[in-house]
Amino acid sequence: MGLDRRAFIKFVVGGAAGTLFTPIPWKLADDASIWSQNWSWIPRLKYGALTADATYSKLCPAGCAVKVKKVAGIAYGVEGNSANELSKGGVCPLCATGSQMLRSPSRVAGPMKKDGDKFKPISWDEAEALLAEKLKGLKGQDGKVAAISGDLSGTANEVLSGFLAGLGSKSYFYMPADQTAMAKTWNGVMGGSGQIGYDLEEADLILCIGADIMDAFGPVVRNQKAFAAKRPMEGDKALTLVYAGPVRNRTAAVADKWVAVRPDGAAAFAMGLVNLLAKSGKSASLGGFSEFADLAAKFGPEAVEKLAGVNAEALKDVAKALFTAKNPVVVVGTEPGQGAGVALNAAGVALNAMLGSLTVLPEFPKAVASAPDRAGLLAKDLVGWLNAVDAGKAPAPEVLFVYEANPAYALPQAANMAKALRKAGTLVAFSTFMDETAALADLVLPAPHPFERLDDAQNPYGLGKATYALATAVVAPEKDCKGTPDFILGLSGKLGVDLGFGAFEDVLKAKVSAIGADWDALAGGAAYVSDKKGSAQASLDAGALSKALAGIKGEGLVLVAQAHLNIGTGKLATPPHNLPTIRDTELYGKDVFVQMCSATAKSLGVSEGSKVKLAAGGADISARVSLYEGVMPGVVAAPLGLGRTAWDPYTKGKGDNVSKILAVSAEPGTGFSVWAGSAVSVAKM
Amino acid sequence: MEEKKTTKCGGGFLAFVLGFLLSVVAGWVVFPSLLYSELDQPIQFSHKIHTEDQGLTCDSCHFFREDGSYQGMPTNEQCSGCHSDVIGQTPDEAKYVQEYVQKNKEVPWRTYQYQPDNVLFSHKAHEPFECTECHLDVAKADKAPKYYENKLSGYSRDTMKMWQCERCHAENGVSNACHVCHK
Amino acid sequence: MSGHATKEFKVRWGMVIDVDKCTGCGACMVACQVENNIAPATPEMDAWAGVTHDASNKLRTLTWMLVYEINNKKAFPEYEAAYMPRPCMQCASPACVPVCPVVATDKNEEGGIVSQVYPRCIGCRYCMAACPYHARYFNWFDPTWPTGMDKGLSPSTSVRPRGVVEKCNFCHTRFQQAKDKARQDGGDPNNLPDGAYVTACAEVCPTGAIVFGDLNNPEHKVHALAHSKYAFRLLEKLGLGPQVYYYSKREWVHRLGDNYLPNEKKA
Repeated sequence: MGLDRRAFIKFVVGGAAGTLFTPIPWKLADDASIWSQNWSWIPRLKYGALTADATYSKLCPAGCAVKVKKVAGIAYGVEGNSANELSKGGVCPLCATGSQMLRSPSRVAGPMKKDGDKFKPISWDEAEALLAEKLKGLKGQDGKVAAISGDLSGTANEVLSGFLAGLGSKSYFYMPADQTAMAKTWNGVMGGSGQIGYDLEEADLILCIGADIMDAFGPVVRNQKAFAAKRPMEGDKALTLVYAGPVRNRTAAVADKWVAVRPDGAAAFAMGLVNLLAKSGKSASLGGFSEFADLAAKFGPEAVEKLAGVNAEALKDVAKALFTAKNPVVVVGTEPGQGAGVALNAAGVALNAMLGSLTVLPEFPKAVASAPDRAGLLAKDLVGWLNAVDAGKAPAPEVLFVYEANPAYALPQAANMAKALRKAGTLVAFSTFMDETAALADLVLPAPHPFERLDDAQNPYGLGKATYALATAVVAPEKDCKGTPDFILGLSGKLGVDLGFGAFEDVLKAKVSAIGADWDALAGGAAYVSDKKGSAQASLDAGALSKALAGIKGEGLVLVAQAHLNIGTGKLATPPHNLPTIRDTELYGKDVFVQMCSATAKSLGVSEGSKVKLAAGGADISARVSLYEGVMPGVVAAPLGLGRTAWDPYTKGKGDNVSKILAVSAEPGTGFSVWAGSAVSVAKM
Repeated sequence: MEEKKTTKCGGGFLAFVLGFLLSVVAGWVVFPSLLYSELDQPIQFSHKIHTEDQGLTCDSCHFFREDGSYQGMPTNEQCSGCHSDVIGQTPDEAKYVQEYVQKNKEVPWRTYQYQPDNVLFSHKAHEPFECTECHLDVAKADKAPKYYENKLSGYSRDTMKMWQCERCHAENGVSNACHVCHK
Repeated sequence: MSGHATKEFKVRWGMVIDVDKCTGCGACMVACQVENNIAPATPEMDAWAGVTHDASNKLRTLTWMLVYEINNKKAFPEYEAAYMPRPCMQCASPACVPVCPVVATDKNEEGGIVSQVYPRCIGCRYCMAACPYHARYFNWFDPTWPTGMDKGLSPSTSVRPRGVVEKCNFCHTRFQQAKDKARQDGGDPNNLPDGAYVTACAEVCPTGAIVFGDLNNPEHKVHALAHSKYAFRLLEKLGLGPQVYYYSKREWVHRLGDNYLPNEKKA
């Protein structure tokens, strides 16, 4: 028997039949189905013990008390810390993605020095030596070294401002915010001490004039908590919320009443209320109040209607509600949270004083004795200074430190401001992320991510009680970064400036013990809350306010910039996970949308989707029109936080930066830089 | 004619049987050794030394955490409680201490019962069962068993399949709803 | 309605969302993506195919939880707006389940959460067509995290490849974890106390607008809230019986929730 063709076929058939009695076909089919479920490029998960470490996240302006969730020691998420009084378990949309931002593509990997158009990595020691060399010759000369800080609550500012003071410089500025504008008013013009607070927890009526408390004003999460606590789903509400502003924004959406007020007329509206309350017999024990009340008398309902666009009935209704409420609180601010003029802030203080709800928080004792007082620094006018530098009216600093701020992007008339910043001999950016200011800098010194560092928050603006929170490093640094205050302490040692501390941890320990709080409790995530009240002694300067108020015209097309926490802040571009939260009526493709009601659109000859050019202050941006009936006529609303030129592919080049067309002017009477509700022109492209 | 046919038929049948037998042998004997890579654990862990010589019990290292989740393979945190320095004589222990504890690196243990990410298995829910109903009995083994990795799927040979889970659930009157085991 | 028998469950996990308290901040959407390993839209994704994945193109984004902005359709000054977070409704008789040809989605587990098993899904998208709430999403792209970001993935949800449908599952792994915790503490895993199991969106919400619990259990807050006269469900008229309730004292929100015509009388 030889192997012929037929036998071979039978052999093969036998073989094939045989395989059916083996695991081969069945196992292969099974495995193949599994194989197609596990592609190598689909990341696998990590497992292990689940833990959560409490800290205080300063990714958002006011901060959220969070617990960083970890699996097998690796941070992956965030949950609220309900044991902390500040945010009571809530988390804002930025801090919610805090763990992802640890590994953001925008993070600065290590210290870098500008070399031509590019950056080249250097070591921390080189950076320190380089700066020490530069600063040595500038010691004792005022104005040669300056600093801009975007962290309004941290003790790190004491180290930085103390260092500057030690070098003989007073040029320490904070980024503009509702807090700095109020400090200018209360601590500056009115001569008060401490910090204005808002006891929203105790209020039965909250009137927000301009202040978007649910999105941009103060500690947003705490505001939301205070609101929600009084609005139980079961039972009656114990709080009325009234929003007075040009846009039906997030605060207005949950408010009981929205009173449309022109952004440039907010102060007139507030004075109108002062007038009506004064007529009803309300008074305040503030110096110069009677002159102030006389000034307010000029803002009768008809005048307010002309200047603020609010009809007389609506104004009277609000005044009546304030008059009859037991615990009314008036919160003043601007839609984007960048600070109003002195006029509105003073009117706000007067209103609260008349209603018996003026809250003043005492300052916490300083840790760095040589540091200048916080209130005085907060009252300074950064935009005014940079404008003067830009115009050549003030000398440009030789060395300019920028800490936790992004002035090149976030200040009004951003392009001019960037130009002024660039006039500094050496621009040093202490930044966690590669933002617009870092991209412009000569030296980029990466600060740790908020979860990686020791930090604190004293009295975040907007709270009703003096509050202190501590942030501890709950994850190991992902990058070669260094705590800015620690770097400054090292530098000060080299320059012979004695701040009294060798490490930032010791500064904070001194702070905590000066406050009388317990370090371990704070490090465990609790906040220290004090019932102490500050002095409410201050006086109103009717003369200056009269001039400021005379500047209100109440006509023409005005721009209201809106800050939305989900889109990001000046200092934090939209995190990748927040992009889906931006509506396609705010951003589509590369186009940012500006909102206006159909009446405004009609008068401008534009319609839904029209491409327009918005111009103001010598700059312009391009945008598309989105019709939104929640914007009052004569007003164009535009979202801040887009149009990034640095950062990463997730955010870069999307939309345009509305800050560019916020036209700055000096408030008559006070000279303070203001830009809320500035005029804008809209032209169809 | 007829004879010729039978012969042919017989020879053909033989070829068929030969082919059949060969493929059966190949399928049962050769195929498994081709399909699986035979791998060792990174450290030759001896359960025997720990249980018999040192008197540890299973839950000294494999225990439920406070949240009810299960500590499967222990981590350095547990092991270095004893092994912060070399305390025994075996070369693998020395290797463990030097390469993992001192370098603060976790041992990439191979999991015999590896399950993919889309499976959610609760040890707590299965606590009444003997470990060995699903796991290899290693309590007294002096050497870590060989790990057989499926070259195609990447799973362990001992990975329990869905039909096995479902059968046991059905036999015990437990729900076989999708989300009971999937995530 | 769907012709299929509606399964009864002892436990029915559900939500009551207070529209009057939602400020539309978006924290729930972010927390959801983090918990469930939803990769951000990557600009350069699938560049080889000439397709860019831009998050502003809402046809391609994955938003298990999506906050809608709704309004009363009136002009200034009568204009009113509200925000409406929309997870999967976990319907009593889901429209998506009977249309699935491979039983990748089902409503069969105690608790009434509609399950979705990704490896089983063949990507036909019938379920997406069937769902009137647009709660289901298709993976048009393989998930790609920015370099390094995938080192910190949540252990709660498996990562889905391109070509499968996914949706909110009420953070189901948290349910399993809560049961394990109850077993560990000697409690009853089938009778969890209020708050033992909450979804990521409910946990993070700064105004507590999202309340989560067992709709059948009188000891859970949602039980009473769902029976409130201010509670309603989206597209109630369709009869799918969502396990997500909304709550508002505003009449126009109620009307919009069930898609009433301007002059239609409410049932």
